[in-house]
Amino acid sequence: MNYMKVILISGRTVKQGTSLEMGKTSEEYSNNVAVIMMNENDMKKIGAKEDEHVEVRTKFGSAVVRCKESRIDRGIAFMPYGPWVNMVIGADTQGTGMPNSKGVEAKILATDKDVSTIANVIKWIKGIK
Amino acid sequence: MIYKNIVCTLCGCLCDDIEVVTEGGRVADAKNACEFSKSKFLNHAKNRAKPIIKKNGELVEVPIEEALDEAAEVLKKADFPLIYGLSSTETDAQRLAVELAELIGASIDNTTSVCHGPTILATQDCGAAKCTLGEVKNRADLVIFWGCNPAEAHIRHATRYSITPRGLYTESGKRGREIVYMDVRETKTSKMADIFVKVKPGQDYELLSAFRAAVKGYDVGDAAGVPSETIKRLVDKMKSCKFGVIFFGLGLTMTGGRHMSINAALRLVRDLNDHTKFTIIPMRGHGNVSGSNDVMTWCTGYPYAVNFSKGYPVYNPGEFSAVDILARGECDAALIIASDPVAHFPAEASKHLARIPTIVIDPKVSLTSLIAKIVIPSAMAGIECDGTAYRMDGIPLRLSKVIDSEFLPDREILKKIIEKVKA
Repeated sequence: MNYMKVILISGRTVKQGTSLEMGKTSEEYSNNVAVIMMNENDMKKIGAKEDEHVEVRTKFGSAVVRCKESRIDRGIAFMPYGPWVNMVIGADTQGTGMPNSKGVEAKILATDKDVSTIANVIKWIKGIK
Repeated sequence: MIYKNIVCTLCGCLCDDIEVVTEGGRVADAKNACEFSKSKFLNHAKNRAKPIIKKNGELVEVPIEEALDEAAEVLKKADFPLIYGLSSTETDAQRLAVELAELIGASIDNTTSVCHGPTILATQDCGAAKCTLGEVKNRADLVIFWGCNPAEAHIRHATRYSITPRGLYTESGKRGREIVYMDVRETKTSKMADIFVKVKPGQDYELLSAFRAAVKGYDVGDAAGVPSETIKRLVDKMKSCKFGVIFFGLGLTMTGGRHMSINAALRLVRDLNDHTKFTIIPMRGHGNVSGSNDVMTWCTGYPYAVNFSKGYPVYNPGEFSAVDILARGECDAALIIASDPVAHFPAEASKHLARIPTIVIDPKVSLTSLIAKIVIPSAMAGIECDGTAYRMDGIPLRLSKVIDSEFLPDREILKKIIEKVKA
């Protein structure tokens, strides 16, 4: 299966910021945060179209999110702050208190797996299978 | 009722011109507010937390006093409690959180450790030539945004302080200012800039060092994907402006170089002051995260990542910062107040919060409240209770109460917990 190696960065978006005030258990929050923004050529390479599901894998974990086309350079991908990007970010702060939340090497591949709901993310954090 | 000049506590801009209209105990409108602020004011009553404790493996709703009793018992019993958060509340509550930390020998940390913690580390090393946002509005003719995206994170920054406002010596507004934007990707902010410079991810330190060398008159090559001609052109602008300012964000603090990149930025600004007036301001995120640093510094001598287990404050980011304590599985209880680490910490750290008795004090159902053993609902600072918050440039502003709440403010909750722990 084709995959794409990217540098993953995370950050705030207007939609993430406004939907979290509606409630982090709301559908709006999941719809706006469980996403990855990629260059259109990178999406073509892995065979993913707008809103299709992709798996983001790093050495720290993996997450399934929806794919969105963006004016971002090839080889870079962006995810909004939230529990989905948290699954692929490591906790090592190299003695500073700050994890590497931007600039993580990741592999992106198209997938048929479902995007985890907030309820499932919380269960996973609690260790409930 | 109509309340004028209300301070919005959502981000570090603390816009103080919001006109709040209330009807029937709810906010009906928030004029002048940005999208974030409007969403915060208009949705303040949605998704509110309830007092909950875990009893016999089940989460059950209880009277608030019972939740407070349970919280005090958990904190009294703990060998290594962690208190974390503080950025979305007011300064009195922050001060009481420090008092509680001292009382129970806890580690106390605020959200700075995962936003501008590296900025503080760098500032402690070499100082920072800062100014207020008012000075930027009135004087700045060169504004550089580096590794931040105000158009999506500090929405009114551009119109209130940095790009379009007309001030004492900036009568022509945007026409009299040159706006430079440095980032790894095009964002909505790039559209507001006169010059957009794309930086290769993770190479800010190299680029800042090249700027410093060019300011000192050395020939520099390309750096971080930026051609040497561009570097020279920008340095000429920096040296010849009347009043320059760099606003920087988590694009510098969250990437590999962390405090070393910021150290280079602070030193670049210091070097530029040999030629003209130049300043630097971190784009602080949460409404009162800046206040949490100030309050902790007044009370303990240190701005974040402080441990009281020896009976006196010890400061050590990396050891006593929340992500590290949690990822190493060190704390045996946690009090999370006015923040939501499960939404923002690496999952490995959040998993430990789910394993230990975690107490959450929050106005709303947060993701952390969904893994907590005790939830204590509170009044929302700046809407349902008054107080003081510090803007990103260190200016304190008074928050107002515009709605009566059935819940106690964070400061009253903390006072009660302190009394119960002492009892």
